[in-house]
Amino acid sequence: MNILFMTDKRANAGSIQAVASYVRAGDELGHNIVLYGRPDPKYPGIRWSTDLSSFDHVVFICEFEIHWISRLLLLRILTQIPRKSRAILDADGMYNPLIAVDMYDRNHRDEDARAWWVGRCDALADKILQPTLEPLNPAVLPVPFYGYDPTLRVEPRTHDKRFDIMHVGHNWWRWREISTLLLPAIESIRPKLDGICFVGLWWDVIPPWVRELNLELAIDLNVDRFKQLGIQTRPAVPFTEVVTAMSEARINIMTQRPLFRRLKLLTAKYFEIFCADTIPLVMLDPDQAESVYGPAGRELALHGNVAAKLLDAIQRPKQYQKAVEDVRHHLSAHHSYRVRTRQLVDALQS
Amino acid sequence: MKLLFVSRLERWARAVSAITRYVAVARRLGHEAVMFGDSHADFSSIPYSTDVKAFDFAIFVIYEALDFPDLPYLAYLLDGMPKERRVIIDCSGVYNKTITIEHDSNHFEQLNGHQGWEWIESFSAVANKILQPTVRPLRQDVIPFLFFGFDSSAVAKHYSSPHDAAAAWSAKDGAGKPYGIAYVGHNWQRWSQLRLFFEAVQPIKDQLSTMQLRGWGWDRRPDWAVQHEFAGVDVDPTLLRGLGVEIGETLPFSEVIEFQGRAKFCPIIHRPLYNELGLVTNRTFETFCSDTIPILMLPPSTVLEIHGPDALSLTPGSEGLVARLHDMIDRPAVYWDAVLKTRSHLAAQHSYERRLQELLAILEN
Repeated sequence: MNILFMTDKRANAGSIQAVASYVRAGDELGHNIVLYGRPDPKYPGIRWSTDLSSFDHVVFICEFEIHWISRLLLLRILTQIPRKSRAILDADGMYNPLIAVDMYDRNHRDEDARAWWVGRCDALADKILQPTLEPLNPAVLPVPFYGYDPTLRVEPRTHDKRFDIMHVGHNWWRWREISTLLLPAIESIRPKLDGICFVGLWWDVIPPWVRELNLELAIDLNVDRFKQLGIQTRPAVPFTEVVTAMSEARINIMTQRPLFRRLKLLTAKYFEIFCADTIPLVMLDPDQAESVYGPAGRELALHGNVAAKLLDAIQRPKQYQKAVEDVRHHLSAHHSYRVRTRQLVDALQS
Repeated sequence: MKLLFVSRLERWARAVSAITRYVAVARRLGHEAVMFGDSHADFSSIPYSTDVKAFDFAIFVIYEALDFPDLPYLAYLLDGMPKERRVIIDCSGVYNKTITIEHDSNHFEQLNGHQGWEWIESFSAVANKILQPTVRPLRQDVIPFLFFGFDSSAVAKHYSSPHDAAAAWSAKDGAGKPYGIAYVGHNWQRWSQLRLFFEAVQPIKDQLSTMQLRGWGWDRRPDWAVQHEFAGVDVDPTLLRGLGVEIGETLPFSEVIEFQGRAKFCPIIHRPLYNELGLVTNRTFETFCSDTIPILMLPPSTVLEIHGPDALSLTPGSEGLVARLHDMIDRPAVYWDAVLKTRSHLAAQHSYERRLQELLAILEN
């Protein structure tokens, strides 16, 4: 099958790593998987095309915006690719009823914004895919989409870890969980920890456009608290360097925005973090962790007494390494991009 | 025939004036012309519809990519109207290879991210017939269709003779003509020509009263232009002030004819790209509706082709702009004779009735 992905490509965010992994897995399985656009050295491992006529299906990978599809491109899409061959991967769960989690995170500003989004999706594609196994909307096809790519693994290093704890991800609807759960836990054990680093966008300063766009809840920060806790920040890294960056720390913590947890949406980070030479601790409900990572996933769920878990992982790494290896085996068997590619092909053919 | 126009209407730009006239003319001739979309309070005289299947043809009037509707409307439109019944009127010559004249171009990739091939492929995907408002399109597959026209019913003042017109125009009380020169148009690829024009008329500034410049972007060069190092919206407000040019707000399309009539002279200027491609605009014709003497700052070949032989005397000619304006002030009846004859020529050759019939012939062919 010839599959063309289209996305608002960014080297340090979004689904670009997944696209690169689909290209590789597609080659192994005899599928031609390509990203729309012209070759760009910032995106190694991606195959490119601007020729719409060579593909059986187009998958639009959409997050919270869809306006990156230009009008000229829309003209070609709508006239050259039959509607039944167009699908949207709704990565952020926008194709749902209006959902607000704890008066905080939300998928749409209001009902009008939701209707606008859904209307555009319905006009653009015949199929809506979501990276969850339990979609709320019966019209949505569940396709996990993101997967585990063991070719991204790095060689284990037992020494010269620069940090005890690292968090890789953007400051985007995460501050409430981090400020109320993670930072207090770190504070309580701070003398027993070495370096801590947050990597990603907007951990150093709140950008000036946040207030203009009414995004104060989505991007919040207390720089003084970071300083007080001796937490370093680093800018976002390109997708090719994420696993290497994570491998600089003994422990990596994965947080997920509340909306995604509510919708049980998978992201690239769920799997990428297990490619790094680190102990991943995931701030998920243990049941959700087990459903994705297998039984060993429960052990890596950062749930309940966060401080005790962090300290335990620092002090007894071998115990956790065993769980990490078990999870990796589970991911290789059930969540590889070969599996994902077959699932995607099945969904597109359905 | 039922025509569905597809464009992005604004009160002060692009094809709003022409489409308004097509709506009226179609009604008079027993046809129907309607805008695609939901009705808009700014354009109460224009009927709107989204019932695509109720129309025989969709006429896309396009200057830039955003003139195509957004989703979901674009999908309704393309799903509801087959390709052979869609036509694109390419008002700014984007359906060509990339052409750059001075700092004007038909493809501003640094602004919109679109390469030349994208325009060609997208237009080809949408319609079998691409029309351009020029008599000499560069591409073999483009149909020449001027689209814009002259609406003689919009002429502000009719005169029984050139002498009457000249007498009214020369009246000393100044009540009817408070301005010497007026130009209405946006700061988009016109600065170099306008600057030369206003500099050139300085020797006779005292005879001209005030000079007026109305439109978007004449007060300062926008930040994005500085950021993109984009030269197409250059302007020097200090220079304009020094030349005695007053800058004012842009005008809605319904006020342009009247405003221009307050000036003795109104230049007609085309962007460098349009001069190269022979593209005409609404203003090519509409300025002749105003109670003013139009100064045709256009290539003589375009003037001859569009406005007719009498209009050549309304160009600077071999004597130059200042000499021509001097002569117009000294012998206005001669030039009003040219204006009135040109109006007659435009009414005969470029009326909107004629344009609509030309369009229908293209559609039915």
